[in-house]
Amino acid sequence: MSPGGLSMDVRTQLGEVELDVALDVAPGECLALAGPSGAGKTSVLRAVAGLLAPVRGRITCGQEVWLDTARGVTLPAERRRCGYLFQEYALFGHLSAWRNVAYALHESPRAAREPRARALLESFALGDRADARPATLSGGERQRVALARALARRPAALLLDEPLSALDARTRAAASRELGAVIRDAAVPVLLVTHDFAEAALLADRIAVMDQGSVVQQGTASALAAEPASAFVADFSGAVVLTGEARRGEEGVIMVALDGGGELTALDGAPGAVAVSVYPWEIALARPGESMHDSARNHLDVEVVSVTTVGPRVRVGLAAPQPLIAELSATSVRELGLAPGGRAVASFKAAATRVLPR
Amino acid sequence: MRTAAGGWFAVLLTVALAAALTFLTLPIVAIFAQQPPGELISALGEEGALDALWLSLRTTAAALVLILLVGTPAAYGIALRRFRGRALLITLVELPLVLPPAVAGIALLAAVGPATLLGRAAQDAGLQLTLATAGVVVALTFVAAPFYLRQAIASFEAIDPTLLDASRTLGAAPARTFWRVAIPTALPGLVAGTALALGRALGEFGATLMFAGSFQGVTQTVPLAIYDRFATDFTAALALSAVLVAVSAAILLSVKLVRGPDAVAR
Amino acid sequence: MTRALALAGLLALVGCGDDGAISGGGDADKPELVVSAASSLKEALTACAKDYPDATLRLQFAGSDELAAQIRQGVPVDVFAGANTKLPDVLAQEGKLKQPVVFASNELVLAVPADGAKVGSLDALERPGVTLVVGAEGVPVGDYTRAVLERLGPRKSKAVLANVRSNEPDVKGIVGKLAQGAADAGFVYASDVKAASGELRAIELPAVLEPTATYGAGVVEAAKRPDAAEAFVDDLLAGGCHDALLAAGFGDP
Repeated sequence: MSPGGLSMDVRTQLGEVELDVALDVAPGECLALAGPSGAGKTSVLRAVAGLLAPVRGRITCGQEVWLDTARGVTLPAERRRCGYLFQEYALFGHLSAWRNVAYALHESPRAAREPRARALLESFALGDRADARPATLSGGERQRVALARALARRPAALLLDEPLSALDARTRAAASRELGAVIRDAAVPVLLVTHDFAEAALLADRIAVMDQGSVVQQGTASALAAEPASAFVADFSGAVVLTGEARRGEEGVIMVALDGGGELTALDGAPGAVAVSVYPWEIALARPGESMHDSARNHLDVEVVSVTTVGPRVRVGLAAPQPLIAELSATSVRELGLAPGGRAVASFKAAATRVLPR
Repeated sequence: MRTAAGGWFAVLLTVALAAALTFLTLPIVAIFAQQPPGELISALGEEGALDALWLSLRTTAAALVLILLVGTPAAYGIALRRFRGRALLITLVELPLVLPPAVAGIALLAAVGPATLLGRAAQDAGLQLTLATAGVVVALTFVAAPFYLRQAIASFEAIDPTLLDASRTLGAAPARTFWRVAIPTALPGLVAGTALALGRALGEFGATLMFAGSFQGVTQTVPLAIYDRFATDFTAALALSAVLVAVSAAILLSVKLVRGPDAVAR
Repeated sequence: MTRALALAGLLALVGCGDDGAISGGGDADKPELVVSAASSLKEALTACAKDYPDATLRLQFAGSDELAAQIRQGVPVDVFAGANTKLPDVLAQEGKLKQPVVFASNELVLAVPADGAKVGSLDALERPGVTLVVGAEGVPVGDYTRAVLERLGPRKSKAVLANVRSNEPDVKGIVGKLAQGAADAGFVYASDVKAASGELRAIELPAVLEPTATYGAGVVEAAKRPDAAEAFVDDLLAGGCHDALLAAGFGDP
């Protein structure tokens, strides 16, 4: 079946909240649904998968119509080729790892199931754990088995529900890398749910911020951070993520050389490829040349790209040359005379600089 | 148990435990101890005793098959759905649990006895219920089914719903999900329920006597045989009781073993 | 917390207290007598117990053989009234019962459902396909039935017994099956047919088969109130309870 894009437009009642979402995801694209708990993100996934029956809506994947309430078409969940990764993985405890994966292969000839399942686990570096029961696997291993199982059927769409949130910080980095590779290789539309904007920024091509059942704003991570449509989005699209290479400095600090230029000091982290995140409200701006005699260790020369007012706050989009966002009061912006095209110095503390392995 | 239980409280606990243990085990031990084992075994060899044992085995097995085949899907259906009147339905299904066996016997007579429409229809169709082995199976099924159903409903309810969702997203239709995921996941509970139903069916007396009568080889199950013999041949009664105790103990033990090494995890 | 415990203890004691089968009177001064009586005596004794002046009667009814076994095992009962003389005599021989007396007689009859009975006579019982319910061996009504059938002669006896579909441990079980229409015929006492309020019809058995049942009663050796127990046994012989027995269809010994 040739993979096509995922298109959905559903409306239904979820308790007190009305879910009203319209999204399009192209094949090979990853769209993150980000937002606080209760926003309805998981319900969107469940509707696409067929586990939730919306009152009104239309869902198509490629050429297949999965749902069309206007014409009374509802394809049952088991006939939709969705790969669903559940938040707690939902592995079958009474089956070994390879049998969990083989569960999805019921359409294949019986003899082919075990070899294919084992091969798939092998590609996830779980070949030697293929006979283990889920209870004896670590969190990271379980996540990989669940992922392998979701991919076993070569699904037409991939649905990931908080794929990294159940992992501890150390495992999360490696898992994040792996997940990124899986998403790229799958070449199908991917819907990813997360409550962590930084995770969305790292893994997805576009982010749709949801609140109270509706999509409040859609766009790339930097666009959302730079030009939030509302205070909610502004609050939510907190951290900005920069990439670079870290090494150990003197007195135990970490020095990060940013891709494209600039160097930062951080207080913890490990050497190697890293992602650096800073919250916009931790970044102060000054006119170029006005040195700042304060304790902030990190100063970057930046170009002002955009200035967006959201109530009393202003989001200033910067390029360092990696995109960076600062949040200032309207007064400060006026006093500094910040405008697109101008230059400034962004400063923030080493203590506010979070380094994550990438 | 490392608590700060010292002094009089610790003594109280020990005394309570000893009392409970004695009260519960003494009658059972007495069954085996009153007569020499040789006597018990030869009493078992007597024809009526063997008939009773074989009948109990057959009828209990038949009742269990009915209960499992019909009760398992039924329990699954109730467990998974939320509908109006669900609580009432569950109460109705559990009702025979609290019915005294004699009342159960009356109930069966009133429902499918020879004086009823259903009873007569069954007779016309060639199925004799009262005073026949089929009647024993009916009585056993009626009194034992709620024990299984209650446990099965609880076990199916306890299944993490995302497991069932996951099964469907992997292409398994609801029937396959029931067979390949729900039952294996709920299995320890289902086994426990089966053991309860089995124990109840084996020991059933009142409803069987009232509905099916007592006739060697046809309707006289072990409990009825014990009752028949206890006034005239106490040794035989002891022997049959000993067998029932042994079988019940075996059932209990096997349930423990099945649940023991189980670990249903993610 | 202590109040709850006290309440629980009280409830346990009350629960242990006698709930008994049937009691008469309710006067705290009257002695209490526990009487084990054959099931067939149920209606008659229940009626007379209410008016019995000299004691509060706690009656328990079951198959006579079961009650005798209980007494043998030492269950504290004051009076035993059985549906035959064999059981009281055996208990007396074992030293468990004082000298028993015969206090009533009853007739074994062939009972059939009052409406639409398939069986109209003793001969009809020999037909194959007839559903017959009798008492189990060892239970007085079962022993009487088998003795009566034996007197029919070996061939007839065998034909009739071949139609037996249930050996009930209690004569009331036979009555129940007949009333429900589960059986075509059964051997019970005349008093049971009378007590069945028109559900059953009795077919009398010819005298040559000696269908008479003799009821024997005695005071249990271990009785706590032997005097009161004796008084009750006398009443069974010739008092209020004897009259009740006659009214219920029993006969004089």
